[in-house]
Amino acid sequence: MPKASRWPASVRSTSARIGLLFIGAVCVAGIAATVIAPGDPFETSGAVLQPPSRALLFGSDDLGRDVFRAIVHGARVALLVALTTTAASLALGILIGATAGYAGGLIDDGLMRLTEVVQVMPRFFVVLAVAAAFGSGLGTLLVVLGLTSWTGIARMTRSQVLSIRTFDHVIAARAAGASSGRILLAHVLPLTLGPVIALASFQASGAILIEAGVSFLGLGDPSVMTWGALLHEGQHSLRAAWWLAFFPGAALTVTVLGIHLVADAVSDSAAAPGWEG
Amino acid sequence: MTGERRVLTFLVRRTLQAIPLVAGIITLTFILIHSAPGDPVYLMAGDGGDAAYYSAMRARYGLDRPLPEQYIHYVRSVLSGDFGFSYGYQQPVFGVIRDRIPATLALSLPAFAIASILGIVVGLAGAAARDSRLDVALRLMTSTLYSAPVFWVGQILLLLFAVLIPIFPVGGMRSLRESTQGSVDPLDLLWHLVLPCASLSFSFLAIIARVTRASVIAETRREYVRAARARGLTPAAVLLRHAVPNALLPIVTVAGYQVGLLLTSASLTEAVFGWPGLGELLLDASAQRDYPLIIAILLTASIVVVAANVVTDVVYTAFDPRVEV
Amino acid sequence: MGYNPPLMSAELRRSRAATAAVLVIAMAAFEGCRRSGSADARDSLRTLVVAQGNDPGSFNPAITTSGNVHPVTDQIFNGLVGLDERLNPVPELAERWDVGNDGRAYTFHLRRGVEWHDGRPFTSADVKFTFEQALLKYHSRTRAALAPVLAGIDTPDPHTAVFRFHHPYGPLLQRLDVVEASILPKHLFEGVDVMSAPANLAPVGTGPFRFVKYEKGLFVELERNPRYFRPGLPRMERVVFRVLQSAITGVMALERGEVDYISSVPGADLPRLSTTPGITLVRSAGGSGGSFCQEVLIPNLTRPPFASRDVRRAFYTALDRSFIAERVYFGQGTPSTGPITRKLEWAYSPDVRTYPTDTAGAERLLDGAGYRKGTDGVRFTVTFTHPATAARLAQVVREQMKRVGIDVALEGLDFNASVEKVFVRKTFDLGFASFCNGPDPEIGVRRVYVSSNIGPFPFSNGAGYRSVEADALLDRAATLLARSDRAPVYATLQRLLTEDLPYFWIIDSDGTRAFRSTFTGFRPWAGGFAEAVERAGGS
Repeated sequence: MPKASRWPASVRSTSARIGLLFIGAVCVAGIAATVIAPGDPFETSGAVLQPPSRALLFGSDDLGRDVFRAIVHGARVALLVALTTTAASLALGILIGATAGYAGGLIDDGLMRLTEVVQVMPRFFVVLAVAAAFGSGLGTLLVVLGLTSWTGIARMTRSQVLSIRTFDHVIAARAAGASSGRILLAHVLPLTLGPVIALASFQASGAILIEAGVSFLGLGDPSVMTWGALLHEGQHSLRAAWWLAFFPGAALTVTVLGIHLVADAVSDSAAAPGWEG
Repeated sequence: MTGERRVLTFLVRRTLQAIPLVAGIITLTFILIHSAPGDPVYLMAGDGGDAAYYSAMRARYGLDRPLPEQYIHYVRSVLSGDFGFSYGYQQPVFGVIRDRIPATLALSLPAFAIASILGIVVGLAGAAARDSRLDVALRLMTSTLYSAPVFWVGQILLLLFAVLIPIFPVGGMRSLRESTQGSVDPLDLLWHLVLPCASLSFSFLAIIARVTRASVIAETRREYVRAARARGLTPAAVLLRHAVPNALLPIVTVAGYQVGLLLTSASLTEAVFGWPGLGELLLDASAQRDYPLIIAILLTASIVVVAANVVTDVVYTAFDPRVEV
Repeated sequence: MGYNPPLMSAELRRSRAATAAVLVIAMAAFEGCRRSGSADARDSLRTLVVAQGNDPGSFNPAITTSGNVHPVTDQIFNGLVGLDERLNPVPELAERWDVGNDGRAYTFHLRRGVEWHDGRPFTSADVKFTFEQALLKYHSRTRAALAPVLAGIDTPDPHTAVFRFHHPYGPLLQRLDVVEASILPKHLFEGVDVMSAPANLAPVGTGPFRFVKYEKGLFVELERNPRYFRPGLPRMERVVFRVLQSAITGVMALERGEVDYISSVPGADLPRLSTTPGITLVRSAGGSGGSFCQEVLIPNLTRPPFASRDVRRAFYTALDRSFIAERVYFGQGTPSTGPITRKLEWAYSPDVRTYPTDTAGAERLLDGAGYRKGTDGVRFTVTFTHPATAARLAQVVREQMKRVGIDVALEGLDFNASVEKVFVRKTFDLGFASFCNGPDPEIGVRRVYVSSNIGPFPFSNGAGYRSVEADALLDRAATLLARSDRAPVYATLQRLLTEDLPYFWIIDSDGTRAFRSTFTGFRPWAGGFAEAVERAGGS
């Protein structure tokens, strides 16, 4: 079984590079927010509804808040959402998928039923229902997203596990007495990682868009500056200030696009056709 | 068994399989209701009542009974169409939802159709001109469309074509200057439909385009295509007459499985344009914490997704001779 | 894998799709042109579309003072009197009136031949019923002020109503217009619970417009009442209140011509609108939501930290009201100095305790009150429960309080939900309301500060302020007749209230309204602002 080269040709392609660039920019903005745009993004000032200029790169909103600073700080939330969703969906998905694939039988059946139920409920609607019952804090949102984003990965992991189980060297390992856990780690997982990561990144980008959608509707966490919230606030002054709509939306698009371009390259290299939304 | 009977049997089997799925969904919503902090009666009946009101509501929802009994009561209610009472609308939830469904259909179905048609066209163009500059440009365009938040696209379309260049109306589904008593004026409806439908189509189009392209390219790699080329058919003819029809199936199945995404995007679009469908209702209900309504919309959306999956599965097996039923 | 003949070739499909798409867009564009071009030639000329920010929910003006309900119901109902531009009473359902017994008895002679929209005759029994069963029980402003002083209402005949008071009562006439005391039809509410009667969703009044249809969250439709008692009015055929969703602002819709009247203009759009041809701006302090309004923060006096007066003083000192007036309200009003707005000139007194903005001073007060800064710089946390429409204010408040170490957690709710939480359930730390003084302090000021109006009623004494002295002053002012006698009493009251600081008054609002210049005859100071509207140049 040939091992995939460390940097497949497709990752080096232009679109992948652009994607990496976008993601990199967002990561830098998120991590170094306090350095790039120091200060409190909620801080109001006298310079109300100023168009973009040298001093105010992205202009200011109707409370005099610096839009550039708000966007840089908003990158933190986007990063947080993406990372926690990716981590949770990978952890839960691989765990459940591998268990189901490896254990088989009733456990497999039960887990797959659970997977189907969770998969079928549109995440956006679940988020709104949970927000109505538990409040609209960012933490709650992250928990819900983490608990609902693993299904695609679980399926993929399971089918990979099922097919790989039959490979010669795995059978040999079993015969040699290796425990299931070791086999899983050493043989099964490395081969599934490529497409699974691609899938996880689509879950992450979906999560970013869902958080943005919820904040846009005004149902998000009011104490956190997110891009969706910026779009929500900008609605009232749209007519007078185009930059309030443009920059947060562009930030969202760029981030999600970056994730998609890179994920495409990764999944191309792993030759997994199509993708789930 | 004849082909039709096979399909029918499969349909029945698939539908039966969907039943425990729906039961699972109902169970999950039940868990959601009861895992929330606080007394569930406030969630289900609102904040504004007095003691008498709440004991009446408790009885209605069976909240004073032990949990297992409550669960059975809940499942039975849902299955009989009683989704609870919306205290915001002061009427049974079922009626509120039912009245909004036509508007959402009027928006989603045309958007789905347009996105599918245009998506197939774009995907085909990309496949035909594989790896050319046109293909790359198209792929970038579709990726961007898919990445842009649907509500942002809607906002921009609204700003551009309803406010700055005043062609289309500023949201809503009908012009309020005419009497609202008569039936809906189809041209008025159409005029109001264009922008929200366009905004909804764009995001969906990208998915269809991508899958079309991938699927058609995969088809062109097949034996029979090479055979046809060998026989002297031009690439275009091969594409159109052979690859595309066979590629349609995966396109249809992917489209069918994206219904959940379509529902979400439709809801956000309705919110932006004030289109009075289920999505706008959800926004209203969320703002008012009208929990029975929110849960019922979640249930409805999930069941629609299940139904779409069943239909897609059936279509897939009916038309793909490779699959054994 | 065999050769499958296609059902329809892709070419054909493509060209058909393209043609269909082109046709659809062409039709839509054509329809758009058709509409905007010939709008004047059509029946829709006789329709007035009004922007409504929030869904009304229901239509009983006698049990609520909500600014979401009244703009609609004030066109459907009438009061005993109307108010002119200077807020002086003019005849409406009452043709004339006599004041007797030193102001202890008001006799109203009611107009004859007035009919309810369902054809039944209007009589004095309706007046008596409305007051006794609705206004005095549920309407916040009436309950607070009229209930304690009204001895009874007599109806000696179907066209006469006599209001008897325990002591001379000056401000009666100002509180009998449609905004303060809409008259309900007794025959539709008798014997049913007024709060949940079916007539609340299908209102029947005596006013210029009749209720036609209500689609929740979308619009309310009214039509002309052909048997309205004022000859020649109303002139419009239909009035439609369009409920706007957040992305579509009233201003957008006004500029586009899809609504004709908006009752408030966001500051960001003011400069542009004031120079837009075809749009007229007008400032007026009265109106359906109430007159002489103030935006007020409501601290919960029944629990810490706001139970402490020093904490309240510190909070108010840290609150930069000028900044808020400039930034949040775009100068559409002046920073308040006390419980009575400057606009109510005869009753306003500037001789009060003032709280100039002083962050250092606020911090000293907080330290003195025992709320020192913790290691994270926070002294205490309060939750600010506010309607979504006050979100910008909430953010500014939070930010200003951060400077003195007060952490304000924001809880933005739907308008009705926030009213419930603050006024009915009273589970809040800090709330918000727009309290309107009304044409007379007796109408809108009393109910906020008098201890007898602490109860689960929207827009009542939500802070829970109890002061024997304040109660006595308010009672005294109610018993005097002449403004010159009442003013000093109100002056003392304002001094007392600014000392005690039971509420945080932010701004005395001006209302700017905007409408399309193709219309004339708006009366923005009155509840029934659309009564005399018509298209300019006649229709």
